[in-house]
Amino acid sequence: MTRPYANLSRRMTIVALLVALLPLNGLGFSLYYYYNYANTQALKEELRIRALNRASAIELFLAERTALLEVLAHGARLTQLSNESELANLLSIMNRRSWSFVDLGIIDKEGRHRAYVGPYLLKEQKYLDAPWFQQAMQKGVYTSDVFLGYRQVPHFVIAAKHENGSDSWVLRATIDSDVFNRLVRTAQVGKSGDAYILDRQGRLQTPSRLGGKVLDPAPVELGSVAPGSSVVERTTADGRQVLTAFSWICGGKWLLVIDQDPKEILGPLNLARNVELAVLALASLFVVVAVFILVRLFIRQLQRNDEERAAIDAQLAHSARLVSLGRMAAGVAHEINNPLAAISELAGEVQDILVPSELAKLEEGEVVGENLERIQNQVERAREVTHRMLKFARRMEPHLEGIDINDVLRESYSFIEKEALFNNVKVQLDLSPNLPVIKSDRAQLQQVFLNLMDNALDAVGQGGRVRVTSRADGSWLTVKVNDSGPGVPADLAGRIFDPFFTTKDPGQGTGLGLSISHSITQRLGGSLELENHPGQGATFVVRLPNSPPDTP
Amino acid sequence: MSPFKVLVVDDERDFLESLVRRLQRRSVDAAGVTSGEAALEHLKVHKADVVVLDVKMPGMNGIEALRHIKQHYPEVEVILLTGHASVESGVEGLALEAFDYLIKPVKLDELIERIMEAFDRRKVVGELTGSPPPDQS
Repeated sequence: MTRPYANLSRRMTIVALLVALLPLNGLGFSLYYYYNYANTQALKEELRIRALNRASAIELFLAERTALLEVLAHGARLTQLSNESELANLLSIMNRRSWSFVDLGIIDKEGRHRAYVGPYLLKEQKYLDAPWFQQAMQKGVYTSDVFLGYRQVPHFVIAAKHENGSDSWVLRATIDSDVFNRLVRTAQVGKSGDAYILDRQGRLQTPSRLGGKVLDPAPVELGSVAPGSSVVERTTADGRQVLTAFSWICGGKWLLVIDQDPKEILGPLNLARNVELAVLALASLFVVVAVFILVRLFIRQLQRNDEERAAIDAQLAHSARLVSLGRMAAGVAHEINNPLAAISELAGEVQDILVPSELAKLEEGEVVGENLERIQNQVERAREVTHRMLKFARRMEPHLEGIDINDVLRESYSFIEKEALFNNVKVQLDLSPNLPVIKSDRAQLQQVFLNLMDNALDAVGQGGRVRVTSRADGSWLTVKVNDSGPGVPADLAGRIFDPFFTTKDPGQGTGLGLSISHSITQRLGGSLELENHPGQGATFVVRLPNSPPDTP
Repeated sequence: MSPFKVLVVDDERDFLESLVRRLQRRSVDAAGVTSGEAALEHLKVHKADVVVLDVKMPGMNGIEALRHIKQHYPEVEVILLTGHASVESGVEGLALEAFDYLIKPVKLDELIERIMEAFDRRKVVGELTGSPPPDQS
């Protein structure tokens, strides 16, 4: 493909691709992001609800136990509970319905552990400085954060104060961490999920499956956590993208944290999204292929049209050249004809005067008479040339009549029959028997055919062969005049229809025959072309429109 | 002398004078003028049966002269004789009822033949229209 076509092809391809692919992919990718967004939002909401539910469950768990201790603290007397066998009895009753208490103890207002039942040796320990004791004494009931305490094991306690006038003491129970941790762990979902509780200092209150042991600092920035419940996307310490739900529990004392790997949950949902992406890719591929094919087809058609137009332009330029040459020939002929006429009359008058009897009186009368005759002959010769030039120049409207081309061909042949016989040239007429009658100019066509046959005879010389065929071919009649001569040399083939171009010896041809024939066929709506095979003879092809005689 | 009068109109003096003399030598009653205007003047005074008219002339050209002649002397036959075979002048000349359209140079015998033919037609037309040639009256 040549450069301008390549440029056009590239520009068309780019524009078509942009126009087709931009909206398609815009739609595709917005759907993709909408899927993503909607799925993530749904997951977040679900996570938040779960966090709320678990938070309620945990709060309920703690509230039930706190209430139980409060009731006990209120209803019992110190002397009764100071009896350790009574206390042990109470603990076993409380745990009979899996109330998950590890131990139970009574602390008097001086902070002295008066009675204790449980697995540790904590009796008589001082708790006056322990925060939970101070808080319990102050507020009546208190749930502690996880701490190590005297037993050096992470745990948390619920403490309830008994107050009766000046008599006050504290009933304290330790919650079974295993039970509590299991309760928290139920909030976890999937293989990669995690659930744990943090205190306000950001220390783990229950173990994190992936983030550490109890009392370790948690990898969560507490300052940015919204009040109530919320969900955020964050990156964990080990670099995973997770969704994290936060829910404050026990009035903001603790924070329930649920980590969730979105991929694990969104996987099946994202299948639809991926199918959509695949469809988009396939559609884009189709568009690209279609655009390339269409652009290629278009450019090829365009190129073909351009070539056809260029050929027509060349033909028009050729015709225009013939017309201008014709005008020039007419002008030249006119300028020459007038002096020729004068010469002819002047010489003729001298001939009139010098009749043979007068010539005989002159000394060299014979020469004078002969020269006057020769002058007339030369005038005649020049006249023939100028008249032929005028014929070429003539742009008479063709005289149209219904004619049978075969008739015209036979008639033309009859003019050259003698000459062909004389030169021993075999002329073969191969005429199609069912040619339609066409509307054309008989005399002008005869001129064309005669000219072509004449040329063929000249070309083949002695003993040659000339073949004339006529055929009907759709909307055209085709006449071919083929000779067995040497053909037209390739470098001259382009000029044979030019006026005054001839390959014959000087004086043998005017160079106007083919030029006139060419303009005649064009005026009759047809064409005259050379099918040249140098060395194998020439074929002149006349095409005439096959119009029924009654069409105007 | 011939029974008919011929007027030759041509701006080419060499041609005109020689042709007129040759026609006269052949007993044709011929006269010559060198322009369309002169031809019309000539026809006012002298009658003519056939006019041999050049198409391309300075001043009034042959076609204009033909139009005037046919308008004022419709019985006069006109033969156009020119060096230039332009379609327009040919077609127009014949449309204006010129008898013939000849291209120079033309042999004298041929020209005389055409002139006689023209005169023959003039005679027929004249008999039909009741305007016979002057010498037969």
